[in-house]
Amino acid sequence: MQDLTTLTINVKDPWKDPANGWDVLDGRTITDNRTLEADVIIVGTGAGGGVSAEILSQRGLKVILVEAGKLKSSDDFKLDEGAAYRDLYQEGALRATKDAGMTVLQGRTVGGTTVINWTSCFRTPHETLQYWHDEFGVQGLSRAQMDPWFQQMETRLKVEKWAIPPNANNDVMKRGCDSKGWHSALIPRNVSGCWNIGYCGMGCPTNAKQSMLVTTIPGALDHGSTLIHSAQADTLIIDGDTVTGVRVRPLNDDKVPTGATVTLKAKTVIAAGGGIQSPALLMRSDAPDPNGLVGKRTFLHPTSFAFGIYDKEIAPYYGAPQSVYSDEFNFKHGVNGPAGYKMEMMPMHPGLSGALMGGFGKRARDEIERLPNLAASIAMIRDGFHDDNQGGTVELRDNGEPLLDYPVNEYLLDGTKRAHLTMLEMQFAAGAKEVRPSHADAGYYKSWKAAREGVAQLDYAPVITGLGSAHVMGGLTMGADESRCTVNSDGSYKHLNGLYVIDGSVFPTSIGANPQLSIYGLSARNASALADKLKA
Amino acid sequence: MDQGINRRGFLKLSAAGSAVLATGSGLALLTGCSSNDGPATGYKHFRQQDVDLLTPLVGAVLGSALSDAGATAEDGMKAFDDLLDGGMPGTRGALFQVLDLMQLGAARWYITGSWASFADQSDDELQQTLANWSASERSLSRMAFKGLTQPIYMAWYVKPTGARTTGYPGPPRKIVA
Repeated sequence: MQDLTTLTINVKDPWKDPANGWDVLDGRTITDNRTLEADVIIVGTGAGGGVSAEILSQRGLKVILVEAGKLKSSDDFKLDEGAAYRDLYQEGALRATKDAGMTVLQGRTVGGTTVINWTSCFRTPHETLQYWHDEFGVQGLSRAQMDPWFQQMETRLKVEKWAIPPNANNDVMKRGCDSKGWHSALIPRNVSGCWNIGYCGMGCPTNAKQSMLVTTIPGALDHGSTLIHSAQADTLIIDGDTVTGVRVRPLNDDKVPTGATVTLKAKTVIAAGGGIQSPALLMRSDAPDPNGLVGKRTFLHPTSFAFGIYDKEIAPYYGAPQSVYSDEFNFKHGVNGPAGYKMEMMPMHPGLSGALMGGFGKRARDEIERLPNLAASIAMIRDGFHDDNQGGTVELRDNGEPLLDYPVNEYLLDGTKRAHLTMLEMQFAAGAKEVRPSHADAGYYKSWKAAREGVAQLDYAPVITGLGSAHVMGGLTMGADESRCTVNSDGSYKHLNGLYVIDGSVFPTSIGANPQLSIYGLSARNASALADKLKA
Repeated sequence: MDQGINRRGFLKLSAAGSAVLATGSGLALLTGCSSNDGPATGYKHFRQQDVDLLTPLVGAVLGSALSDAGATAEDGMKAFDDLLDGGMPGTRGALFQVLDLMQLGAARWYITGSWASFADQSDDELQQTLANWSASERSLSRMAFKGLTQPIYMAWYVKPTGARTTGYPGPPRKIVA
């Protein structure tokens, strides 16, 4: 039986080194009103904000980074699932769409989702970029034009195909796809000296993961940037048709405003809070939006699951969480046909397992007791490419917090049903003894034939069809088409001077792959162009 | 607020239940039983009426997940309370609205198929209630079932005590120099 409990991790935390001289303000300690000025204010420290901050500060621009989440670093990463959800995830990992149809795992900490993602790095598919050009008038982002930017970020973040044999969970994907003659390949990961232990989702305890927390944010701080964490960007300061700063509310340890206001002033403000938070910032600020597009077309890669039980131990909680994928069904029906989906595996720690398996009482207990022998495959639907799939809409709660309304419709349910069948077939081909799709009414099927017959009987309806998401994209659509887009291809907001959006919220559709490298590449491109403009 | 059928309130609930839950507005007015008495003793977020309502349900949902760890329904309820620490005020507010609604016998009947308070149901009756509830075709029932059971599971199994009963050996040891 695999057991890593005797392994000891003792690594140096770069954030705890007083010699680094970094200018870091902790919002929890700010109780007085104050004003700070910079060349550029960046709201959010994830993939978009981190990359932008490093590039702009390297060009000699004074940058202030604002982050609502807390600063947590490797000394704090104790491989504790509960502490990770509480400290590192949006809404303590309790975020869900409005009708509870999809759970949404998204980061909320210095470094954003890059601190808790599973390290899969893919360049934006050519088909996706071409669709953006054709449908939204996105300019200058062909795959050939983007490849140098992807290359730059792959080098910066040490992205390489995983060279160690996949863990047993990911080996299921390889064996299953090989057996069916389906495509599969190794996943490129942004890690350096990875211990292959499997805790990427709880904050990398060894600093092997090349998240923004240990790469671009330290890079920006080394170049004179200021980081304010535990501080919520409340509203943009708008003077006429120009953004002149950001009103920030420091938060105490319980995420409640301390009562102070930090006023940040700059000629350039970058919204980099990601899908959901960036649109919400504009909505709270009453930013001009003549066509009512802000917060619309928010995408999630609606993701279904299949749980397989094997004779041999899988230990799905240990080892690099994602190392093999299959694109067999991603673009099978073209870019804009019935829903396509990318297949991967997911790590299964007990808390997430219990939440996703669902059920109640004895049956649920029997299921989770087989965790050591369980493999979990996922299928991420490429959303936003079809007239019947326009994504979700960001709303504000009465207190200004964002909420995503994303109805699960027939288009997604049809895709999910096909994805379930594919995953069931794949896992039986890999040697599973029993497999269950993520559907509240489904039990474990003992053969592919029984599974096919069983799925045909299931009622594919919202909420009982188990769906989740770990990728939030869109909400501030980029492109030339004024009737559909709010942001230009260079990241500038169409209806305000001085405001840029550099994060995943500008994507006109979902990506069709784990989005982090898409955000890194586009952010590197647009932050570099912005630096050129500001230094001209 | 828990006695007999309040016919007018029930009809409003039937018609508007999903919409009210989804929009998160006006529920306190609708049920007249919203309370802001603050957290119960020993809890950081759940109010006393939530603890009274939910503790038997937590015990029934988790079942032997608790007893196998030598734990009680109250331990499961406290774990749920801990999980809410990470939530934003809006996240918790939406949950409390569901719980306020379920204080009403009529609402419990509409949502779970059973009028009786969870505390007044035997173990077997609670399992039957959960079976009926989880099989309901009402969207409000489905939302409430998932919205309550999913965090109950996550809350319990992120606890090392709960996690160890799944066969997961546990994480490596982190040493801070």
